[in-house]
Amino acid sequence: MSRLFIDIGSSSLFKSGQKIGGDVFLLSRNPDKSQIVCTLSDGLGSGVKANVLASLTARMAHKLSFSPMHLVNSATIIMNTLPVCKERKISYSTFTIADIRLQEEQGVVLNLVEYDNPRALVFVQGQSKQWEPQTKNLHRQGAFKEEVILHSTLTMEQGDRLILFSDGVSQAGLGTQKNLGWRRAGVESFVQQKIRRNPDIGSKALAEAITAKALELDIYTAKDDITTAVVFVRSPRRTLIVTGPPFSPSDDEQLVQKVVAFEGKKIISGGTTAHIVSRLTNKPLKMDMKSWSKDIPPCSKMEGVDLVTEGMLTLCKVAKALENKQSADQFPDDAVRRFLHILEISDHVHFIVGTKINEAHQDPKIPVEIGIRRTLISRICRALEELYLKETTIEYI
Amino acid sequence: MVTQKIMVRICMGTACFVQGGADLLLYGDFLDSELQQRIEVEGVSCLGCCKEHQRGLRPPYVQIGEQLHAEVDQTKFILLIKEALDA
Repeated sequence: MSRLFIDIGSSSLFKSGQKIGGDVFLLSRNPDKSQIVCTLSDGLGSGVKANVLASLTARMAHKLSFSPMHLVNSATIIMNTLPVCKERKISYSTFTIADIRLQEEQGVVLNLVEYDNPRALVFVQGQSKQWEPQTKNLHRQGAFKEEVILHSTLTMEQGDRLILFSDGVSQAGLGTQKNLGWRRAGVESFVQQKIRRNPDIGSKALAEAITAKALELDIYTAKDDITTAVVFVRSPRRTLIVTGPPFSPSDDEQLVQKVVAFEGKKIISGGTTAHIVSRLTNKPLKMDMKSWSKDIPPCSKMEGVDLVTEGMLTLCKVAKALENKQSADQFPDDAVRRFLHILEISDHVHFIVGTKINEAHQDPKIPVEIGIRRTLISRICRALEELYLKETTIEYI
Repeated sequence: MVTQKIMVRICMGTACFVQGGADLLLYGDFLDSELQQRIEVEGVSCLGCCKEHQRGLRPPYVQIGEQLHAEVDQTKFILLIKEALDA
């Protein structure tokens, strides 16, 4: 496992009255996990048309970033491909591409290409970094204005942050709260203050704080789409999830030793599994009767374990929530919410899956969703890896 | 006169929860407050009765005092508690 982890979080609000956004943030990484590309694109206008422009731009920028082509050529291709707006007779979409490469010796190398979006912010150890990007004029035929692309290559170390945002953020409060809007400098000092108060603030939380502040400046009626993305380089946070009793009871001891020895957050999901750990460590299990909802049984408490939940129902709902990109705060205070909270702040998740079949779950009267533990865990892993870019490992016992 | 509270343990294992156990957690709503004061309710992650269906018993399981009961719904829950308190 790498010594550095790249934590990326984004938050987006649509322009008031729109059901679809004109800002598009895309995020993906290559199969060997050494390169991550994030693209923030803002299409002309708002609503569906803007979303089409922005999605096209972001997708193209994304594909081209993983190719060996030079970024300036990629930008020209993007501009030439975009459909022309019927009213304004121009094809236009702003974009920022952050190509992040994780290299063991040099740390993280960031290649930043910006076109007409507010300039990105970089915080080195909590202090805003000032730098001059290289400029490149595209001189594209048929362009309706001068098109200048900014390109910078920066290295990032542990504790550094990159912040991308759309003009909905920098122009928040324009004409109402602030004459010229929040502006880049306003966002800069807001982030600086946030980091000073909480130096370990996660990317998702920081991105949400910025969009929330922008909305507040717009007096809770967004004048434009508001999007923020935060990239944070830090050491990985590890979480262990244990679910299901071992296939052979003789392995119970081994399972418990692994739980005790693990450094990081620990979740036990499953009544029988919790009983095994409780019995062998002599730590009592106490059910918390307040933390339940109509389809999720209550959590329990055990010393040395961060969360103890019921197994299949909870895992099933966690899998669904992850696949639908629902955040923890959308759930009532039950096991699923607490489970998702821990996953949100984890970078590397290790699963120990017991493969014993629970006879009671084979009862035909029980809902079908209570399927096979192994399939459920692989769904959770896939969602964590593909949608949240977390690292996962599974061990069967 | 000080009477000892009766311990009521509701199984919250997956099989019990989906087959009616969840309804029993609403005891605060359907059980008379007078009865509520005389019992102590505790959730258990599994009472270990999952294999009892071989003997024709079905979830959800509830343990009242030392006695184990199967197929407990809200009505049966009230009756069982009254019985246990009267005994």
